[in-house]
Order: sequence, then C-alpha cells, then structure tokens
Amino acid sequence: MRMKKYTVILLVIALLGTFVLGGCGANNPSKTTNKGGSKITIALQFGLAYAPVQIMKEKNLLEKYLPGVEISWKQLGTGPAIRDAMVTGQVDVGFMGISPFLIGWDKGAEWKIATAAGSQPLALVTYKDNIKKVSDFSSTDRIATPAVASIQQMLLSMTAEKELGNPRALDNLMVSITHPDAVTSLLGKKDVTAHFSSPPYIFQELADQDVHQVLNGEEAFGGEFTFIFGVATNKFHDTNPPAYAAFVAAFNEAISFINNNPQEAAKILAPVNQLSEAETYKSLTWNGTNYCSTPSGIIGLAEFMKTSGYISKVPSNLSEIAFENVEAAVGKRYGEMSAIENLQLRKSENNGQ
Amino acid sequence: MANKSKSAFYQKALFVLILMLLWETVARMKFFNPSVFPSVTSIIIAFLKGVSSGLLVEKTVYSLYLILKGLILSFLAAFLLSSLAMVFRIVENILDILNSILHPLPGIALLPVAILWFGIGEGSIIFIIIHSVLWPMVVNFMTGFKTIPRIHLDVGENIGLKGFHLLWGVMLPASLPYLLSGIKIAWARAWRAVIAAEMVFGAASGSAGGLGWHIYMTRYMFDMAGTFAALLAIIIVGILVEELLFKNIEKFTVIKWGMTI
Repeated sequence: MRMKKYTVILLVIALLGTFVLGGCGANNPSKTTNKGGSKITIALQFGLAYAPVQIMKEKNLLEKYLPGVEISWKQLGTGPAIRDAMVTGQVDVGFMGISPFLIGWDKGAEWKIATAAGSQPLALVTYKDNIKKVSDFSSTDRIATPAVASIQQMLLSMTAEKELGNPRALDNLMVSITHPDAVTSLLGKKDVTAHFSSPPYIFQELADQDVHQVLNGEEAFGGEFTFIFGVATNKFHDTNPPAYAAFVAAFNEAISFINNNPQEAAKILAPVNQLSEAETYKSLTWNGTNYCSTPSGIIGLAEFMKTSGYISKVPSNLSEIAFENVEAAVGKRYGEMSAIENLQLRKSENNGQ
Repeated sequence: MANKSKSAFYQKALFVLILMLLWETVARMKFFNPSVFPSVTSIIIAFLKGVSSGLLVEKTVYSLYLILKGLILSFLAAFLLSSLAMVFRIVENILDILNSILHPLPGIALLPVAILWFGIGEGSIIFIIIHSVLWPMVVNFMTGFKTIPRIHLDVGENIGLKGFHLLWGVMLPASLPYLLSGIKIAWARAWRAVIAAEMVFGAASGSAGGLGWHIYMTRYMFDMAGTFAALLAIIIVGILVEELLFKNIEKFTVIKWGMTI
C-alpha cells in the first residue's frame, strides 16, 4: 500500500517536472565558438568533386584571407552525415549534393548555399552490348547508383520520364551501392548490369572493352547542373561575416588555381585522393568537368525533387536557398531572363532555349 | 508466484515510463535540435503512421523473414557440427580452429567478400547473418553437450538407449539450458547483422527492403522521428519474442524440469 502511494507521488512529480522543465529550455546552444572570426569548421566528402576544398586546405588559402583563423577539417562519408553535423552546430560549412541540402532545407534546416563547387561528368555505363538506350533495359537488369534520392537516381528518373513516359519506370532496377563496390560488381558481370559512374571509377570501367557508355548526366538533365555545393549554416553566416567572406574568397581562388594550373593541381591532389598524378590530371581535365562557383540547374533540380516527392516545396526565390554572393553571381535581369538565370532551369521541350 | 510477476511488471513499466518522461523533457527543452532529437510524442505519431500505412509492418516482416531463414539454417548447421564434434575428435579440432579464426570477425567486415561470392541480393545478407550467428551457437551447443553430467548418460545407456535415441532422450534435454542461451544470443546477433547488412545492400532485388533499409531511408530523408519509430518496432518485436516465446519455452521445459529457476 505504501509502495503504491509513493509510486503515484513520484509519477506526479515526474510529470510536472516534464512540463515545467520542458518550458524553460536553452534555444539550441551551438557548439562552435563562432563569435568573432577565429574559428571555422569545414566538412567535405571523398573524391575529386571536392578538389577546390582540398586545394584550399593544402595551400592554406583560408589563412591568407583571415590571418589567425583556426580551421577544423572534417572528412565524412555521406551528405546526410554532414547534414546531421551541421544541424547540431558542429560544422559551419559542409559540401554535399543538392539532395541532402534541399531535403534538409525542406524540413527546416537553417542553412543556405554559400557557393557551388562545380559540375562533374556523370555517365551511365553498361557491359551489355544490346543496351544502347534506357528503353533497352529489361526487368532483370540492375543499375547501380550511390544512394536513394541521389543525383544519379534522379537523372535516371528524368531519363525514364523522357524516354519511357514514366519517371518511376526504372525504380525496380535501381540498387544502392557505393562506387567502388559497383565497379567490382559491374566488372564481375554478375548482378550489376549498369552503373551511373563518374571519374575516376569510370576510367576503370571503360578500360574493359565490353563496357560502353549509354548516356551522360547532362543529356539526362537537359543541360549543365552543379554536382556539389558548399553549404553554410545561417548562424555561421550571420555571426561571423569576416570568416564567411574569407571562405568565399579562398574558395574562389582555389577554383581559379585548378582551372589555370591543372598539372600543378594534379600534383597536389594526387596523394590526397590516393590516385596517381596522371589519373588525377585525367580526372581534372575529363570532358564535362567544370570547377565553377556559380551554380547551374538548381531550380530544375528542385522542381524535379518536388514532383518526385522528395521535398514538399520549391524555393520561390534564390534568396531562400542561397546567400547574397550566390545571388549576386546569378544576377536578376529585367525583361527577358539572363543566360545565367536560365542556366538554373532544365532545358526541356517546354521552355525551349 | 503471481504476486512476484505482478510487482516485477509494475517495476519494469514504471522504469520505462520515467525514461520516456525524461526523454520528453530533454526534447522539449530543445537542448538538442528538434530535427535530430525528436520528442516521444512525435516518435509515437511516426510509429502509428508507419503501422497504419502498413509500411513498418511490411519492413519488419521482411527483416524477420531474413532472420528466420538465417537462424534456422545456422541452428541446423550448429547442431549437426556440434553433434559430430562430440563423436569425432577431428571434427571438434577443426571446428575449434575455425571458430578461433572466424568468430572474432564482425559480419559486416565480410561484406566485400559477400558481394563477390553471393552478389548483391538476399544471399549476401543471409550469409552475413549465418556468419554472425553460427559461432556463438556452436560454442553454446558444444558447452551444453560437454557439461551433461556423466550420470545422465550412464542411466540412459543402462536402460538401453543408444545413438539417436540417446541423443533425443538424454543429451538434448540435458543440454537444453545452453541450447536456449545459444539461441537467445543468436537472435540478438541476427538482428544486428540484418540491420547493418540491409543498410549497405539496401533494396536490392527490387523488394521493399527491411527495417535496416527503412532506417537508412528515414535518415536520408532527415526524418529522425521515423528512424526512432523503426527502432521502436525492433524493441517491440524483441520484447514480444522474449516474453511470449522464450519465456514460455523455458517455462515448459527447463523450469518445469527444475534445471533452472
């Protein structure tokens, strides 16, 4: 009897505590000490798509624009991993594809695009001779993409929509495998019949004489599109303007360096990416590679993500998803849209151009 | 007896309730970002949504199907190997060295090997489950067989039991506590293996995938409440199996025979 009375009292106190304590709460104390320009945490993933970030790091460019800055570099495996770190305040600037960025933005993450990193040549390759177009795939074929809702999967959906009339027509054929495992499977010629690949993996695949390319990313999208973006938290941008500005300047210089000195860049990047200098140079200068801080294809990708159901709304204005330097690079033309503004859309039969 | 289990239930329920309240408090204080630390209410809503739409149920059933397949195959293999090891010294030695080599390897570490041998379908996942589960089972079965009191076997032989009849009538019941413990460990290990493997192999073979895949997807879609709802599903299945299956098997065998309390 006494036990029961104490139990009830304990429960009532606990319940009251929940409501009282729940009301008073710190509003998301950030873990980065960002007041005043001395510290910045940058996260990137693996591969040459992140070359400008790697150059920025190797050549200490950020320190040039912000002397005395303390930089913390983190290398993570996936976009969602970087997203989690940024949302919990552990990372200020993270590099990822459009997918994790927009999905986060759609669900209320307070971040925006600080810069584009560039476009990469993505291509669908297969070892099956008879497959020349997407419509040649049968239900037993398997197409490897790095992740669900990845840009590669979206490009396949776009192609399916264009050539088969149904964006979901290839859904059952797609399997999620990392690039290295996909290369092994494809060259083993067992389960995986096709792979949406990119350099340097595509070199290994195309070296096999049975393997040929079916289509490339730009054909699927209908134009150029940025592959990786540099995303910054609103908090970082708002509370640390000098560091933000220094980051943008240093990043631009890194891109300029790669574009003007590909050979020297290859020498610096080869050990970082565990490739030979020759392979690195080949990747940096492969047809379709474009390191550029101005974005392209953002609106087109966002619209496709909405119709595919990955996000619930499309940004009505670039300012919703990008900081002022990106807006300034795209501009706003009165009268007819400018070429750069048009670049953000997909070129389909509908909007001509 | 009845009083003991009743107060045990209340104590456990109270503890869980207080944990939930603590969680809800931390979530409401917004100490962590709500997108990554969802409140208990949002998790429950996500769970109910998943159950009513059938999605969570479908994924749970698929994962369970893979686990059962792996467990049954492993059980048969473990039982066969352990029995043979009791009869033939050489089998015991081989089993011992295999165990030393393979048991320490985490199932997920064999992923690249699995892809090469079994491709990217169900086969690889079953392979990883069996690898994670076989060795603890073998260890437990062997211990169970070896610790059968000599006197039980003598009595069995005295009344004329031999070979298979001795196995079924004496050895199996006598080693049952260890067998059951081996199966319980295997069940927990199988869950770990299937969730980890599904996260990597994903929805290969065009099927809807299991709970591991669901956890991967909800994480990608930044739906933490959905991730926790999937974890909740695993917890509920675990509790159900423990309370309804294992406890009852024990009640009607080892507890009834007085081998354990």
